[in-house]
Amino acid sequence: MMEATRKQSNPRPPLRAGSAFSDDGSARGGTFEDVGALRLRLGDYLSEQTGSPVAVDRLVKFPAGFSWITYGVSVTGFAPAAELILRLGPPYGLFAPYSAMPEFLALSALRSSAVPRPRAFYASDDVAILGAPFFVCQRVDGDTPLPWGGQGSALDGDRRESLARDFIDSLAALHGFDWRASSLAQWGESVTVDNAAALQIEEWRQRFQRWALRPHPMAHLAFAWLGQNQPKASRVAIVHGDYRLGNFLERNDRITAILDWELVHLGDPIEDLGWAFLPQYRGGTGLVCGLASEADLLARYEARSGASVDRGALKFYIVFSLLKLSLTHMAAARCFEDGRFNDMRMPAMATQMAPVFRQLEKALERSS
Amino acid sequence: MNNSLPRLIDGMIATLRGEIIPHVEGDFARGQAFGLIYMLNSIRLRAAWSNEFLCEQLQALDEASRDLEGVMTDLPGAPALTLRAPSGLPTAVELESMRDQGAARVCELIDWLATHRAGAPAVAVARAEDIIDRYIHRQLKWELSTSAKPMFDEISRGSEKGA
Repeated sequence: MMEATRKQSNPRPPLRAGSAFSDDGSARGGTFEDVGALRLRLGDYLSEQTGSPVAVDRLVKFPAGFSWITYGVSVTGFAPAAELILRLGPPYGLFAPYSAMPEFLALSALRSSAVPRPRAFYASDDVAILGAPFFVCQRVDGDTPLPWGGQGSALDGDRRESLARDFIDSLAALHGFDWRASSLAQWGESVTVDNAAALQIEEWRQRFQRWALRPHPMAHLAFAWLGQNQPKASRVAIVHGDYRLGNFLERNDRITAILDWELVHLGDPIEDLGWAFLPQYRGGTGLVCGLASEADLLARYEARSGASVDRGALKFYIVFSLLKLSLTHMAAARCFEDGRFNDMRMPAMATQMAPVFRQLEKALERSS
Repeated sequence: MNNSLPRLIDGMIATLRGEIIPHVEGDFARGQAFGLIYMLNSIRLRAAWSNEFLCEQLQALDEASRDLEGVMTDLPGAPALTLRAPSGLPTAVELESMRDQGAARVCELIDWLATHRAGAPAVAVARAEDIIDRYIHRQLKWELSTSAKPMFDEISRGSEKGA
């Protein structure tokens, strides 16, 4: 059940990813967004995988998420769960082209860990199946506190403290996971404590070159600073890549699942801390992700992980994270400008490039 | 188009908010509508009727003015039309291109300093970096002062506070 999809004999004509585009190149809903067709396709696929009939009773598109398309799926005939999540990486998405495999492999490997996460069932990058790379996982019960609109300030008292404990402990568990003893060992051949930072800088530099619509001196300044201040990692760990308020589910004051693993990779674990420390995720509070003070978070993380956090490396990864966030906004601008996606969240997101550049400017002033 | 651009945008926003969004079903669709409002607010802070549109109007006046010169001698006491359209007024596209070319040169200088700073005179490097920092700061300040208040909560949830 946890393996990537096996080849299926497809009784229906394939759904084409390319059908997401009209003849004039403008964005248009793809056939994989046709709920009726998708229901049938997914039912066929799950039936094929399980060897017994599975019916998809309901597909509901979720509004959350800027990248993958997420559907809530109700099924009958699928023994492990009646409620599933289907995630599709559309050809017009923020980080397209997509592969479902990193997220699927990470979730599968972490099944033996203490990290709360959805159980992954199937995944495939074969667009002939559902029209886009996809994975299917368990639907975990819970709500998502969001970082904007001051909702972080609503996380008060016992609830906040409980979520903070789970948030920190889950991160420590993730970073402590012995990936070398798992199927993720295949990722580790080229990542070392010496090049972990450099690999990430290079990866995001390439994305910058792909996404920028015009020259951005601030980004060049940040890349130059990062190049001159790379820390050596204390260890190589699984890095979530987007660990923050807004990317976990909670129920009864407990985190029930860490979500959105699309940027998962091997690297310096302090990278996740740098990302979580961003002001954007403080929800109007002074607390990291609206959950804990910087000092409390670091103290608990160090106690749980048994590893001290190099404050210089943390500063480096905060600068890196601000740059990464600004580039994500650039990706949104590119995606919309190219006409790949008419989702109004994209240009809205792109407007945040300047505020993030301003924070980057301040961070570099403090670091110089 | 007889109304001012800001008023038109205000009217579109009010219509979306008051007449359309309350009747739209689904959080995602309403979130998209709030995205429209946010983008309209953003456009309102930066947009004006285009240079090209106004230039054509000015050139028409210029031509009429020149043509009338030959007639005015036969119309003593009539008000003279003396408007001259400025020549070589850049279009918005040309201005944007000039800005991008300049910013690209700044980027090249930043990259050059990053790789040559060790061999370059420290005082000159520091002076150049200070000028670049001030340039970036001024650009960001302008960008931020002409940006609308974000509406990510409304876009994500498909509803406004108190709604």
